[in-house]
Amino acid sequence: MRFWDLIRMSLSNLWRRKLRTFLTILGVMIGTASIVVMVSLGLALDKATMETMESSGGLTTIQVYENGMVMDMSSDSQEETSQEQKRITDDTIEELGKIPHVTLVSPVLNLQILGKQGRYIGNLDVYGMSREALENMKLEFASGGIPKEEDGLSFIYGNQVLMNFYNESSGEGFWDTENPPEVDLNKPIYYIFDQESYWGSQMTAQESGLEGQEAEPVKPPKKYILPTAGVLAGDMDTYTEQSYGVYCDVEDLKTQLKKVFKNKAMPGQPVTNSGKPYKEIYYNQAYVKIDHMDHAESVQNEIRNLGYTPNWNAEWVKTQQKQYQTIQLVLGGIGAVSLFVAAIGIANTMMMSIYERTKEIGILKVLGCSLSNIRSMFLAEASAIGLCGGIAGLALSGVISWTLNRFGAALGGSITGMTQAQISYIPVWLAGLALVFAVLVGMAAGFFPALRAMRLSPLAAIRSE
Amino acid sequence: MGSERKPVIYAKGLYKIYRVGETQVRALNGVDLSIYPGEFCAIVGTSGSGKSTLLNMLAGLEKPTKGEIAIGRCRLDQMNENQLVRFRREAVGFIFQSFNLIPSMNALENVALPLSFRGVPKKIRLARAARLLKTVGLAEHLFHKPSQMSGGQQQRVGVARALVVDPAIIFADEPTGNLDSATSAEVMELMQKVVREQKKTLVMVTHDNHLAGFADRIFHIIDGKIVKIEEKKNEEKEG
Repeated sequence: MRFWDLIRMSLSNLWRRKLRTFLTILGVMIGTASIVVMVSLGLALDKATMETMESSGGLTTIQVYENGMVMDMSSDSQEETSQEQKRITDDTIEELGKIPHVTLVSPVLNLQILGKQGRYIGNLDVYGMSREALENMKLEFASGGIPKEEDGLSFIYGNQVLMNFYNESSGEGFWDTENPPEVDLNKPIYYIFDQESYWGSQMTAQESGLEGQEAEPVKPPKKYILPTAGVLAGDMDTYTEQSYGVYCDVEDLKTQLKKVFKNKAMPGQPVTNSGKPYKEIYYNQAYVKIDHMDHAESVQNEIRNLGYTPNWNAEWVKTQQKQYQTIQLVLGGIGAVSLFVAAIGIANTMMMSIYERTKEIGILKVLGCSLSNIRSMFLAEASAIGLCGGIAGLALSGVISWTLNRFGAALGGSITGMTQAQISYIPVWLAGLALVFAVLVGMAAGFFPALRAMRLSPLAAIRSE
Repeated sequence: MGSERKPVIYAKGLYKIYRVGETQVRALNGVDLSIYPGEFCAIVGTSGSGKSTLLNMLAGLEKPTKGEIAIGRCRLDQMNENQLVRFRREAVGFIFQSFNLIPSMNALENVALPLSFRGVPKKIRLARAARLLKTVGLAEHLFHKPSQMSGGQQQRVGVARALVVDPAIIFADEPTGNLDSATSAEVMELMQKVVREQKKTLVMVTHDNHLAGFADRIFHIIDGKIVKIEEKKNEEKEG
């Protein structure tokens, strides 16, 4: 039997029982819609988290440390572990760049410096990175922008950097007064790179005041004024990964450091056994950007093989994703129950129609309709119900999803505790999958009735009047 | 003369035994039978004599408990269900007592239906069905549903449907059982004419001796056994 003849016959059979077909389709429609809507809620949750992470760049960035180095960056606690300790140098950066899926590598040179403006003094956490990396971090500026090459060393301030400043004489800072200190980041700030000698000079000044000339006076270090390249967007309450940091170009920072410290040991830099600094400036870490979070695992392994310690911030995202998957499964399961009920409806309809058409099926068999054709005919009817129900269900869930997103955002926020732009999200794959699933459910429900029809005795046609 | 020709239908030692509770019912009790190409045969018997069972068996709708059936070279008793279906599709036409037309289809579609099982394209099969409906005198009723036609007309559609696949053998089970005597005669004449013109073999089951008189050869069956074979041609010659 030709395929289209078969389909035509199945459809005309459905059409003969319009009302019953319609009711069965209605069942499948509700079932499909409930699955799709339920899953779409979970997907929207997932998507919202992913977007937040994505926008902060956390999903695709990996920090690379020297082996044996602790993660916290207070550089004084760092100890020399062995002679062949692998340091992060420009060669390392190049090596890291060769790992597949790595799109960008930048050195990170991190150190603390002091900043002074008026009565206020602040500990600044300075990160020197490559210009490329700075551009890549998708920083949002309230004013200014990425440092320009011709400007030399200039800083980008995070929006919460002000919290690090405190009144030098009273010792009161943001956390005591709950008011941001009166520091204008766009006005000149004096920078002190050599903290040790600064505090040393302060100490000696105090001690000499108290106990005379006992300690050798330490010369206060030189102060520098450096231009501001930009300030990040956000007020004192908006936290981002960068909001406490001060960022600048790493090459400019290195030049500056060499100028400041000359032959002295720089804070945070390793020294030889005799306490002398190395010629080179070593980076504290490397900033590695990869093309997709799925490759994080393999890239991390590569980094380990090179002899460094990778750290991927987004490890928790994976856990989170697993959690959301569970939620999705539960929600989908709830929806599946109604689709299951709909499947029983299909099976029932098909069964009824076989009882009614016993004679007709018998006639078809006597006239030479092959068994497989009869089976296919009934399967086609059942899957047509599934398909129609699936399409109608998708349309319905589209409407529900739109309504939820349009009017239910506040409601969704109060339930999930998150403010999401979307509370229901139906990606194309979900729609496609739902359709396929509905058809499969139809076929499964129609399978036994079809088998039954196939096995009906052709004699029934002649006997039953 | 029969022994010289090869029979198109050949049956030997056919038994059909039903088990009803403790007792065995022998619907067929050792039937031997040969039917030759182009013959119009009637199987006559009272209700319960086993005539319908015999027909069903010859048509491959029912399997014998014991015995051989051969149609041409095909051994029906050795075929599985799929082969039987194909056999019916390719070689057999059916005319039923209760017409058995599909109520949702019009005359044309009903006649074309068996062709669709063979995968004949729609255009061709509808054209062929229309031609046959004209042959049986229903040119005016191509697009009528069975419910819009009289019994006689419906059975003409049935005859056309049996002929449409161009079968070697046509089986008819009480084809006029639901018709009044005048229409019965019409249908019988039609069937007779078709068999003569198209050289088909027709096997008809009936309880009516008068209707059996249209046939070339009449098998009388009582209690699952053929008790008498009448050859009408011979009678005519004798008479």
